[in-house]
Amino acid sequence: MLPPLVVVDRLTKRFGEATAVDGISFAVAPGEIFGFLGPNGAGKTTTIKILTGLLRPTSGRATVGGFDITTHPVEAKRLFGYVPDEPALYPKLTAVEFLNFIGDIYEMKTAHKQARIRELLALFELDADAGGLLESFSHGMRQKVALCAALLHEPKIYFLDEPTVGLDPKSARLLKDIVRALTRAGGAVMMSTHIMEIAESLCDRVAIIDHGRIAALGTVAQLRELRGRDTLEEVFLHLTGGFEDRRIADIFREPARA
Amino acid sequence: MNRGALAQTWVLTCDLIRFRILASRRDWTSRTLYVVATVASTALVLMIFGGTYLGVRALVAAHATGLLVSIAAWAFLVYLFTDLFIAFGQALNDMYLSSDMPILLVMPLRASSLIVAKFILGVAQNEVYVAVFLLPFVLGYLLGMAAPLWAYAAAIAGLAFFPAILYAGLATITIVALRVIPPRVAKEMLWVIGAAVPTGFWLLNFARFAHMDGDINSLHLPSAPSWLPSTWMGQLLAYSGAGDAGHAMAWLGLIAMVTFVACPIGLAVVSAGFVEGWSRAAAGKRVTAMKSGVPPTLSPIAAIVWKDISIVLRSPQLWFNHIASLGFIGYLLVGHQVQSPILPLTIQLAMLQIGFVAVLDSLNPGMTALSLEHKSIWLLLSSPLTPRQLFTAKIISAYAQTGLITTIAAILLGAGYQLGVLQTGALVIFALLMSAAAICYGVEFDTRYPSFDWENPNAINRGVRMILPFLNGLLVLALCGSFLAATRVGLHGAWNGMAAVLLGLVWCGLVVGWIAVRTSHEAVRNIAGLEI
Repeated sequence: MLPPLVVVDRLTKRFGEATAVDGISFAVAPGEIFGFLGPNGAGKTTTIKILTGLLRPTSGRATVGGFDITTHPVEAKRLFGYVPDEPALYPKLTAVEFLNFIGDIYEMKTAHKQARIRELLALFELDADAGGLLESFSHGMRQKVALCAALLHEPKIYFLDEPTVGLDPKSARLLKDIVRALTRAGGAVMMSTHIMEIAESLCDRVAIIDHGRIAALGTVAQLRELRGRDTLEEVFLHLTGGFEDRRIADIFREPARA
Repeated sequence: MNRGALAQTWVLTCDLIRFRILASRRDWTSRTLYVVATVASTALVLMIFGGTYLGVRALVAAHATGLLVSIAAWAFLVYLFTDLFIAFGQALNDMYLSSDMPILLVMPLRASSLIVAKFILGVAQNEVYVAVFLLPFVLGYLLGMAAPLWAYAAAIAGLAFFPAILYAGLATITIVALRVIPPRVAKEMLWVIGAAVPTGFWLLNFARFAHMDGDINSLHLPSAPSWLPSTWMGQLLAYSGAGDAGHAMAWLGLIAMVTFVACPIGLAVVSAGFVEGWSRAAAGKRVTAMKSGVPPTLSPIAAIVWKDISIVLRSPQLWFNHIASLGFIGYLLVGHQVQSPILPLTIQLAMLQIGFVAVLDSLNPGMTALSLEHKSIWLLLSSPLTPRQLFTAKIISAYAQTGLITTIAAILLGAGYQLGVLQTGALVIFALLMSAAAICYGVEFDTRYPSFDWENPNAINRGVRMILPFLNGLLVLALCGSFLAATRVGLHGAWNGMAAVLLGLVWCGLVVGWIAVRTSHEAVRNIAGLEI
């Protein structure tokens, strides 16, 4: 069995008094799509930021492709592609210039870089707009460019934070197909999402994180069975606390007639 | 509950001012930085106050009545020139580029309430600059003139009205311009116009100094343009200082009338056209077709430099600094004709002048080198780059801009002063050294206190942020200036004066080298520890 590509071991991140991530541990194996679910503020983005080197853990350890992200950040960063939850890009660069810049940062060979940029732009149907400044792109188009950038240097590991936000149904479907293809080729994908249907249909294993701690970890079928629920959405709400009908009704009750 | 227009304006104004104060306080959590900045600001205020008081006392003792009367208007004009840069950008920021505008515009608020609240916020921010730069000048002047107590009250009241006139005019121009110029280019081009117009205006007016001549008793500065509010303020101060209550009150009356008549008219124009102008300016941007070919591969450092330079070339608001620096050369050349009878031009003096221009020009590119990444910083920090690579790229990007501008500025100054090739070369080298020092301090500061959450790049350096690296740059300039002076005294005349210059440059080079090494270590450590 191949060693895991991502290992998170008792990872903790504190911001002053607040604990965003509280001693979580998991691993992502080659060929696996790992879903990371949780309510807003649960610690998903913080965990992904630690794994991508944007934040340093308070304690614990995270390795990517066998390299500790804290002690060997450059080696680890060569191995992954990342799409953040808000992929801010350089507005004054064109899509082609931006992807070319990313290719240079990852030290890709010219011919390979050129071919790859053309291929990805065509795949995401961006080739007609490739000469436009990114400031003129819609949110969905920028999301596609960010995906192209993550895929450009053909990494083995992908961290995707809410990758389908802003994508039209066709592009969302394309992304799902790409993710499946990447893992079939031996890559590992760790993605956070709020869309249960995506997690249910796409992910091999799922971790549900709440208040910085992992509340459940396993395949979708295991979680359903373990919690005695029919759908992943019900498991999620059961673990993270859904609103009771009565509270919802109280909040949105009809205004009293004068 | 529906509030009346006045109540709505009042509540909104209070809220906006409160939010701005909170934002400033939350931006700066470092106590040390606050203490140092407060000490530096206090020193600046005391310096302006003390310098003005001593200067006025000296002029009073020399019976230089003509200068005492005419100097105030020019002092206010100098401030007006500086403040035009700040206030113009502020008008554009507060009205159009402000990120809260889309939220405010969908609220049930009157456009007039919104504009008045934003206007008062802008004036309130401008009053801070007035309090730091003009108030100590006014107090020093009046104390030096032994003015009566009422004079203080009159001058301070005029001073309080002064920024409102300026800001109302600029806000009106901004709004009107954005309805006339195509919106896509207007916002960016206004930055360039905002830098070029006051620079040209100042040079044209300052050129009139060149004809000054005569004894200090009879010397009188040429009249400043009478239509400018700065001249009205100058007249108010001069008459207040002389104890002429009648004339002083007449000028104060004029300033008050314009404040309370011109400002409302300006605001009315702005309010009427604002929403339409805003929606036109905020409309979807045209997709610009550019060259879509893939250029050859660059190294990571070269790629970052190329990216940064491309962004600068496509962002006219980032040229603001450089236009002002080149404009300063014109100011020096015109000023030279006045200064030369009092302070003879030496190569060392010219080097100090170009050094100041270099520090000024390097301030923004250095101090925003990393912050300009804005929210895209995640890209560089999650990429396989070492902190040293990132630091090197940022230094090169900043230095490529300021190195070019300061070299051009030094050559222009050398040509204007009719210096020889060797002396002009010395100017270029000194400018490049001072620029390097300022860039190093700027980048180090920016890596320590980066600001990735801004609305437009010219708003990155505000308040405390601007003071410390600028003071560092000035201290280095003062230190290097003392080396130049010392070598001039020690080696006066050797090799036609160039031996002193060369030795001075070697000393300065060593100082800048030390600064580069020290700041690079700090900056690399700061980048390595950066979290977003």
